[in-house]
Amino acid sequence: MKLELGSIFIKDIQFAAESKVENETLYVNKEEVRQIILEDQNFKSADVELAKPGESIRIMPVKDVIEPRVKVQGPGGIFPGMVNKVETVGSGKTNVLKGAAVVTTGKIVGFQEGIIDMTGPGAEYTPFSQLNNLVLVCEPIDGLKQHEHEKALRFAGYKVAIYLGELARNLTPDVVETFETPSIIEGFKMYPELPRVAYVLMLQSQGLMHDTYVYGVDAKQSLTTMIYPTELMDGAIVSGNCVSACDKNTTYHHLNNPVIHDLFAEHGKTLNFVGVIITNENVYLADKERSSNWSAKLAEFLGVDGVIISQEGFGNPDTDLIMNCKKIEAKGIKTVIITDEYAGRDGSSQSLADADASADAVVTGGNANEVIELPPMDKIVGYADVADIIAGGFDGSLHADGSITAELQVITGATNEMGFNKLSAR
Amino acid sequence: MFALVIFLTGGCMIITNNDWVYQKFKDSCNVLFIKGSYRDVLVKVRDKIQEGHELLTHPLSSSLKPNETPYKSIIISENKGTLNFDSVYIIENSIMSYDKFNKNKLINLTDKIIEDFKLIDLTVLESALDI
Repeated sequence: MKLELGSIFIKDIQFAAESKVENETLYVNKEEVRQIILEDQNFKSADVELAKPGESIRIMPVKDVIEPRVKVQGPGGIFPGMVNKVETVGSGKTNVLKGAAVVTTGKIVGFQEGIIDMTGPGAEYTPFSQLNNLVLVCEPIDGLKQHEHEKALRFAGYKVAIYLGELARNLTPDVVETFETPSIIEGFKMYPELPRVAYVLMLQSQGLMHDTYVYGVDAKQSLTTMIYPTELMDGAIVSGNCVSACDKNTTYHHLNNPVIHDLFAEHGKTLNFVGVIITNENVYLADKERSSNWSAKLAEFLGVDGVIISQEGFGNPDTDLIMNCKKIEAKGIKTVIITDEYAGRDGSSQSLADADASADAVVTGGNANEVIELPPMDKIVGYADVADIIAGGFDGSLHADGSITAELQVITGATNEMGFNKLSAR
Repeated sequence: MFALVIFLTGGCMIITNNDWVYQKFKDSCNVLFIKGSYRDVLVKVRDKIQEGHELLTHPLSSSLKPNETPYKSIIISENKGTLNFDSVYIIENSIMSYDKFNKNKLINLTDKIIEDFKLIDLTVLESALDI
């Protein structure tokens, strides 16, 4: 499967009478975007705001971040099974508005999290401070249930991202990258001397507001399975995980999975990137056993020498992570796990809720308990009053001047467990 | 599904401090309601495991850290057998994880937030039970 990914660089975003891309600027007709959101009768009002790198803006509480893309050639459309038909994606040509994003915000439940600061120390912790963001602030109708609100907001984000992505359909990309995954036999013949490596991508799947969708299917209802890496680049996997800001994998992360990009970069040079195994993180211990059994079985079946395993969330997914690691190692396959740490504010506590001697190659995304100070911003986009009850905030964390004292876990993407962040340890 | 089979055959017990869970399942399942904290639920589960019950759902939530929600429901086997060391390992680790989190975040919760926490706990449990 082969995909040509064309990036059109976006350096600025502005409201305008006509939505278009010109001279590296994304012009957006605000009213058209509002109407897309309000097509869903679950919303009574909608506002759209801009947040650019360097501006004194705090976005909160962030639910998802989505990159605008469009399928230019080849079967299917972006977000198959969610917005477009369930066609197999990942081949042909896709254009990306690189440097732009749609950010959804909303008070789905009383406790919230997810801060993106566009400047200051907080901006250093999140990759989304570097993007030209179109922020959706959508008010649900009275009495809307939490899960309906979550779904409505999720779809508003996809639809607006697709609307913006369409603007790139007839543009000539600034850069085109080609990603190709051969069949197993072809790959083996091409690089017989290189170590064969697969990627085990763990997907959050725990129930209301903790779900991930694969071609529209809730991952918790699926057995561990395989997917071509380029399918993710066309939105085959999307996030419905609204909680846990620092270590959730947003839809943007799935579209731009750094493990996949790095494995492709080394493919044919230092290793042979065989493919992606996707597995879930369910609540039931028997499900964890079953899913990790299948991860190990598929890794063995693929005949790989090594796997990289990435996680999402903290707590019971640590058990899935360790089960995957332990069982795959037991097959004689080397593993590297990517996780983050909840090691207490001073970093001295045990980092994970589970452990095993076979997990001896670990990449950390940082300590989510680290306390940080976020200075006040000139403008809050979203809902300012939630800072005190944001996860990772604590009573009194929102000060009178608008500054916030909180744990790192409040910042969207700060300790991302795919490694899409700057924090780590050597 | 496996989880559902256990549930329907009455092979499980729910230990919870969430009254929504108690009200919903008390007539169809063995529910032990704990008037106490998340930690009290963990400790009761540990006691039960030491009596020979088996842990069926993970005691820690995923995205919600232990200090972020006051409510927790955990499923264990109704039947007792020999001590299950996997269960002991998981519950002991979970209590250790719980204790390292700062607890002062759960002050001044509004009724709306309390209801949201109860709902999340209930839906996570329902997702485990596949209903």
